[in-house]
Amino acid sequence: MAAAAPTSLTPTFSDIDRQVRSVLEPGGLQYWAWICFCAFFVVIGGALWTNQVYNGLGVTGLTQPTMWAIYITNFVFWVGIAHSGTLISAILYLFRTRWRTAVYRLAETMTIFAVLTAGLFPIIHLGRPWFFYWLAPYPNERSLQPDFRSPLVWDAFAVTTYLTISSLFLFMGMIPDVANARDAAKGWRKKFYSMVSMGWQGTDRQWRHFSMAYLLLAGFATPLVISVHSVVSWDFAMAQLPGWHSTIFAPYFVAGAIFSGVAMVLTLLIPIRKIMGLEELITPWHLDNLAKVILLTSLVISYSYICESFMVWYSRDAIELMTFHERYFGPQGYLFWMMVACNCVIPLLLFSPRVRVSTVWLFVISLFVNVGMWLERFVIIAGSLATNTEPSQWHFFTPSVTEVFITVGSFAWFLMLFSLFARFLPIVSMTELKEGIRWLREALHDTYRRAA
Amino acid sequence: MSEVRMVASFADEEQCVHTIERLLETRLRPRVFSPIPSEKINEALYEGRSHVRGWVLSGGIFGALSGFAITLGTSYEWGLNAGGKPIASIPAYLIIVFELMILCGGIAGVLGFLTNARVPAMEPIEGYSPHFSGDRFGVMVNCEESDSARIEALFKDAGAADVSREPLPATTVSPGHGGH
Repeated sequence: MAAAAPTSLTPTFSDIDRQVRSVLEPGGLQYWAWICFCAFFVVIGGALWTNQVYNGLGVTGLTQPTMWAIYITNFVFWVGIAHSGTLISAILYLFRTRWRTAVYRLAETMTIFAVLTAGLFPIIHLGRPWFFYWLAPYPNERSLQPDFRSPLVWDAFAVTTYLTISSLFLFMGMIPDVANARDAAKGWRKKFYSMVSMGWQGTDRQWRHFSMAYLLLAGFATPLVISVHSVVSWDFAMAQLPGWHSTIFAPYFVAGAIFSGVAMVLTLLIPIRKIMGLEELITPWHLDNLAKVILLTSLVISYSYICESFMVWYSRDAIELMTFHERYFGPQGYLFWMMVACNCVIPLLLFSPRVRVSTVWLFVISLFVNVGMWLERFVIIAGSLATNTEPSQWHFFTPSVTEVFITVGSFAWFLMLFSLFARFLPIVSMTELKEGIRWLREALHDTYRRAA
Repeated sequence: MSEVRMVASFADEEQCVHTIERLLETRLRPRVFSPIPSEKINEALYEGRSHVRGWVLSGGIFGALSGFAITLGTSYEWGLNAGGKPIASIPAYLIIVFELMILCGGIAGVLGFLTNARVPAMEPIEGYSPHFSGDRFGVMVNCEESDSARIEALFKDAGAADVSREPLPATTVSPGHGGH
């Protein structure tokens, strides 16, 4: 992999261009080996899904009463992962947060691929996926009336809108950077970048309308972030099921989504900045700020867990109490405590400033958070269904090989798409880094001081 | 009188803004190339705000109305009485209205940008240099040949790193590309 030569502590516009353009050079053998490695697991996942389509959902571990388990857990997990991208790119843009410039493109890209991965799971979960269009909520000739009071229909609108707006936001922000890459590229890359940049030449007229459209799109994306995971949470909270039916779910899910998403940003960012030689653009200052977001959202999540438990205890509702007793101390109670350890205890290490700038610590903590947040969704979804209002039906879910490898395949699919993007399109925004070059210089000076 | 195209490149945004102001004082409207969005350049060249705002507002209103139309229209076409509740449930439908408002407003914003910024640009814009997407600010102006020496001096006084001049064909329309 190409690594950019070190620059001075006062980088110029040219230094930024040189470092980001160096990432766009053709990938080496190791890069393509990594892509093949990911593709291998995608193929395995695809083969197992084909088998599932052929033999039916019986090959999964899904059985009464747990008909939503791994696949829906994956759906909620990936939609959650998507959220931090828009938080960093849109919400922090409106607040003019200085540290976002170096990391927002990566986070936004992660958003798009996470939503695309999430979108696979409602279809994978279908017994007859070729009728997936029956899910689309539109008046039709099949007498399938879309019920606009159903949270599943809200979800279809929310996720589709989110994917569209996030894609537009990513694409628009990328135009000036792709034009920059075009001006340095040769051969097929020049043609490709010329097509993607649509003849952008940075004239006063183009910037004038670009800036306004980008600002307004950020303004639209901001409430959308809050709404989408709230709507996803209502898929559960609107149901009359103990463990799901709770008014705290919307803020709890939104905080969890940001928590898991920022952790995934770090999981991707730390190896990428090392492998692609972006350490001088993505400095410890940026990592420190991302770590603070994880710490804050971890505390919000911990508060939510306590609050949820308190609400159940205070309600004195026997069925709710029983469900939560099973969640904590039942046969799969260890999953809940693992979740608490990953989401509430381990992130407390981030109170230490030294941990917040250590790439090794941050990477390990971000992995624990990813695992913890996946477990949270599993505990809520499958755990609550397993202990419904009828104890004679109780049955705890155990995943099959099919579900495990389709889940692994979804991670491989996500990483493959992300890796391909990172090599062919600018993964760091040159334009915004140049706009905030003063803050980058300060961050580099700060890093130098710490090292000294 | 023949015309020439003068293009100056600047390493610094302030120098570029200063040049624009000087050119506007002499009633010449420049075209500016910039590697970053610049509020100062925008303020020097334009009054008022981008028309993209109107596009977004229109798109948002259209989306919200579409949301009401699809939810209310569908409900009344298939009047499903669920436990005596109202056929149309406005609070629940507001979620669809909100999502469609965002969706249509966002799409309209991008269309507004493309239309107003004249992107995709099928023809290369005169005076553009690859440096202008990298580390230079460019100021281009078309002027009478007799004025070119004065303009060149103006550019150099302002700190231009490089000034180029190119004769224009007789039919070339000079220079401004004004408006919003």
